[in-house]
Amino acid sequence: MQTVLIDDDFISVFLTEKLLKREGLGDTVRSFQSPQEAVSYLQQAIPDQTPELIFLDLNMPLMSGWDVLEALKPYEAELVTRCFIYLLTSSLAYSDTARAKDYTLVTELIHKPLSSNKVQAIHTKIMERRANLG
Amino acid sequence: MSESAQFVDSEERLRSLFENSLDLILFQDREGVIQDVNGSFLDLLHRAKADVTGRHINAFLPNELVPVFHEKLQQAVAGTRVQFDVAVQFKGAEPRVLNISKVPLRVDGAVKGVHMVARDITDLTASHQLIEQQARKLNTIFESITDALFHLDRNWRLTFLNHEVERLLHVRREEILGRNIWEVFPAEVNGTFYKQYHHALATGHAVHFEAYYATGQLWLEVKAFPSEEGLSVYFSDITPRQEAQTSQKKLTEDLYRHNQDLQQFTYLVSHNLRAPLTNALGLAQVLQAESAAPNETLNYLEASLEQLDLVLRDMNAILSVRDQQGVALPEPVQLTDVLNQVLHSLQDSLQQAEATVVLAVPDELRVHGNRAYLYSIFYNLLTNALKYRSPARHLEMIITGTRQPEGDARLTFEDNGLGFDREKAGNDVFRLYKRFHATSSGRGLGLYLIKTHLDAMGGRIEVQSQPDAGTQFFLYLP
Repeated sequence: MQTVLIDDDFISVFLTEKLLKREGLGDTVRSFQSPQEAVSYLQQAIPDQTPELIFLDLNMPLMSGWDVLEALKPYEAELVTRCFIYLLTSSLAYSDTARAKDYTLVTELIHKPLSSNKVQAIHTKIMERRANLG
Repeated sequence: MSESAQFVDSEERLRSLFENSLDLILFQDREGVIQDVNGSFLDLLHRAKADVTGRHINAFLPNELVPVFHEKLQQAVAGTRVQFDVAVQFKGAEPRVLNISKVPLRVDGAVKGVHMVARDITDLTASHQLIEQQARKLNTIFESITDALFHLDRNWRLTFLNHEVERLLHVRREEILGRNIWEVFPAEVNGTFYKQYHHALATGHAVHFEAYYATGQLWLEVKAFPSEEGLSVYFSDITPRQEAQTSQKKLTEDLYRHNQDLQQFTYLVSHNLRAPLTNALGLAQVLQAESAAPNETLNYLEASLEQLDLVLRDMNAILSVRDQQGVALPEPVQLTDVLNQVLHSLQDSLQQAEATVVLAVPDELRVHGNRAYLYSIFYNLLTNALKYRSPARHLEMIITGTRQPEGDARLTFEDNGLGFDREKAGNDVFRLYKRFHATSSGRGLGLYLIKTHLDAMGGRIEVQSQPDAGTQFFLYLP
């Protein structure tokens, strides 16, 4: 189980990691505070080590979450079948929620803080898909 | 033909000329006694020849003219041919204006009498007077119109200008009339006025334009009408209007900047402020999950942070409504459609409260507005009614709708709930975070949002309420 966390806010990263661990999803979490580094990593990892789960912050300096999604467009076919991408943002802007619907890569936009219940739900979803993919 | 026959002939000819002349002719002796008079004169006097001849002319003159006629007669008797115009009403005759000649008749070098030949110039005089009167009237009109007005002939010479031209352009008509306008205003050659007037005269089409007259520091609105005679130009000073427009433009720019600031503020609220808050919330939740026993302090910390987050969410909601002004295009909306939608979504809550809602709004009542705003308004009004219902009775709500004579749609939401002291609430009713019930769970946002949404659609809201009797909301929508 490979999870990638992209968020420039280290407290938020700390929190998300902690929640994932507690809900049993913390075994292989790779956290990036730099979106550029995250993109470089993903370009290497796909397709052999495609993560099953990505949490992506939207508001980051230099490269926003939207930019990251654009950079991942070439891998869309691979990602859509094997990876859930969640936008994790503290922003309440309605425009973000609307925009997220335009990306097939995005599973859902979650407003921070991430809750245990949500992580459990995500966990269940991953398990279901694993079963389907055989 | 004999000599005498010739003479008679000649006398008869003269007689005929005398009798049939359209001019009024009489012959007086040196004293002024009328010796002979022609038909035209008798017609004017309405008398027979016998009544006139042998009498002094004074007998037919109004008293005030006697001296004049006497004087002229004396001059003629003295041998001078005299001519004068006079307005006269001979006794028993109509008033006339006459051009009178008195011609002395000399026999052997001595003046024997005077021919008085009067030409009736009454009509001519009247015409002249009419023309003068018209010219004066026209002048008065041109002078009294508030527009400045001047006329140019086809050689650009100023042929007429009114007082307003003198006032606005600081010129004097006696100095510039008859001169070429481009010599009078050399700075304007090849400028806007120059080009427009040339265009008008060249094409024969009227021009209408606004231009700045730099010399006088004036903004002028100009209309110029070409004709065969040249160009008629009307203009007025629109400097104050231009200045108003400039300040309006500045105001718009200011507003635009303020709006930008507001958007920036929304962003600040929805991200910069909320990011650390969500971390705090998350951390509190983690602590809570990790603590072995229930921790009251931690509970309160979490509750406080959640309250703070609610405030932030509200602010975001409000600022987002403002942001979208002008973006969300108004459309025709059937009110019952939206009302039914809201009632449907609140079905469970209404049933739980055993509330009855009477919807008496005609289906054809439509407004021009934003569907999402209307939904939010109705939703807030209904949840308010539920929230502030009386514990003593079931909630009854009546919603009515009518079209006002002036075209607005009016909706009333009437409930039998707790109500509030309308007078005490005053202007605070629709303000943000103003609450009128200590016990309920309200955040004081509902009414504020309703008003914000209505404002955005050009509508308005009024409220009447009495403690423990109920509340009535009146909504007016364009």
